Amino acid sequence: MVNKIKMSIIEKGIITDIKQISGDIWDMTVAASQIARNSKPGQFVHVKVNNGFKPFLRRPLSIGPVNGDTLRLIFLVKGGGTQILAKKNVGEEIDMIGPLGSAFRMPKKDEFPIFMAGGIGIVPLLFLDDCLTNDIQRLFLLGLRSRSFSTVSDDELNKRSIYVSSDDGSIGFKGNVIELLTEQLDNNKLINPIIYSCGPGIMLAKLKEFCEMRQIPAYVSLEVPMGCGVGACQSCAVPKADGDGYYLVCQDGPVFDASLVNLNHGELP
Amino acid sequence: MIVNANVRMGDIELRTPLLTGSGTFGYGSEFEDLTDYSALGGIVTKSLSFEPRAGNPPPRICETSSGGIINSIGLANVGIEEFLGSKVNELPLDKTEVFLSVVGDSVEDFTKVVERLEDVERIAGYELNVSCPNVKRGGLSLGGDREAVTAIVREVRALTKRFISVKLTPHYTLIAPVAQAAVDAGADALTLINTLVGMEINAETRKPLLGNITGGYSGPPLKPVALAKVWQAAQVVDVPIWASGGIVNGIDAIEFLLTGATALQVGSVLFADPKAPTRILNEMIQYCERHNVDSFTDLIGGLRT
Repeated sequence: MVNKIKMSIIEKGIITDIKQISGDIWDMTVAASQIARNSKPGQFVHVKVNNGFKPFLRRPLSIGPVNGDTLRLIFLVKGGGTQILAKKNVGEEIDMIGPLGSAFRMPKKDEFPIFMAGGIGIVPLLFLDDCLTNDIQRLFLLGLRSRSFSTVSDDELNKRSIYVSSDDGSIGFKGNVIELLTEQLDNNKLINPIIYSCGPGIMLAKLKEFCEMRQIPAYVSLEVPMGCGVGACQSCAVPKADGDGYYLVCQDGPVFDASLVNLNHGELP
Repeated sequence: MIVNANVRMGDIELRTPLLTGSGTFGYGSEFEDLTDYSALGGIVTKSLSFEPRAGNPPPRICETSSGGIINSIGLANVGIEEFLGSKVNELPLDKTEVFLSVVGDSVEDFTKVVERLEDVERIAGYELNVSCPNVKRGGLSLGGDREAVTAIVREVRALTKRFISVKLTPHYTLIAPVAQAAVDAGADALTLINTLVGMEINAETRKPLLGNITGGYSGPPLKPVALAKVWQAAQVVDVPIWASGGIVNGIDAIEFLLTGATALQVGSVLFADPKAPTRILNEMIQYCERHNVDSFTDLIGGLRT
């Protein structure tokens, strides 16, 4: 519902790089000029992981940093589909529909952007981070279970000055990312914060509560099981906060004003 | 060799036998950037009800370990008022034939919707969805009742001269009597089949994968079931059959023509491959070239038994 953009295409991208970041996290760079050049942070691509129909559905993946004609897809191997993706090699083709869905709205001049990622939810925020000019101050937070589950390289953490929390204290702040956010907000007395977030349902639900309590605007990027990706099948429903039906993540989202969606205490579809 | 792709059904000529399956192609504009409509003979829209329906609680879609997918959308749609106010303008009337799918919980629901749609110009016809597995009242139970099917078709027939296809469930013990009843009541065609009722669970979490627990099973595993229903119905009715169930390539499509179908609906495959109509059409033409068949129509009912 934010900066809604239409016009999507099917493009066969070429994998130019693929590497493992940690156990189940892979970082793939794909040359796909038309999608890359038209993408906005927050949008996604709908990826066909192989030829044929096993698995049957495409996989929606957030668009990571874009560099000219290439885009990065960083993904977590969750099941059969992403497992196939992780085994791809440089030079192989990858069939994508994109760019799809809504983008993050850019912060206004007087707003202080805070990026809050949970695990693999960092991907669209890396792209957003790149889209803000250097003179714009920002705060980038990443919550991890532990160092061994990191979703970005140490280089990237340093380069982007990302503050990390981990549940077990193996890297950065010991605790969850909401606690880290609270500490940063209170210690730095940030004026006019605006939060951009993507991560597990439970984290987003807690963030929504937190932001409503403190009256901080927040935008969340949601991930739910999806069919067509273009608003036709209505599979990717997420309940509206006012109880009046559903939004579609593929079309109205994936980026939503957190106050408009019911995150159901983190029990996302 | 030029293969004639046209198929005729009464007064309607489709430039190809390929239609989109209801619920998989929205109201026809959602895929406009991705799908080449020239490969389609027509589209069948998302089912339209009199009142708006919010749909079922999510998750609404999952894959299954045996292939294919299960959905439980719950016929989410904007209802007739909003459809006539906005969505009607999105119909791709200049690009292809448009068949509007209609659903309801009662005979009156169907007639109220069709009455309003009669004012929409250039519509090729209706598909009456008497068989959706995802609504508690009506739907499957309504379509499971031969008397109810007869009543719905008869009442809608009395309202319109337009083409009517009736979409039936595969869950009848015998398809032939219901197929015959629909035709006797005035159906111009039959759509076979709607999805099978299915469910999938996660043994680790002991939870169902769908918010509605059960849903409609579609995709490649349905093809043998659909072939059997098309075959059985084709033995008893002489109206065109629109086959629907697991078509993902041109050979699947040809198989349904041979079994007795006149038109072929592509549905779930569009989620994976929005260009499927073009690909399937080309594969069908290649089959015809290989077998020296110069018209798709010549294949209809051509099964050798």
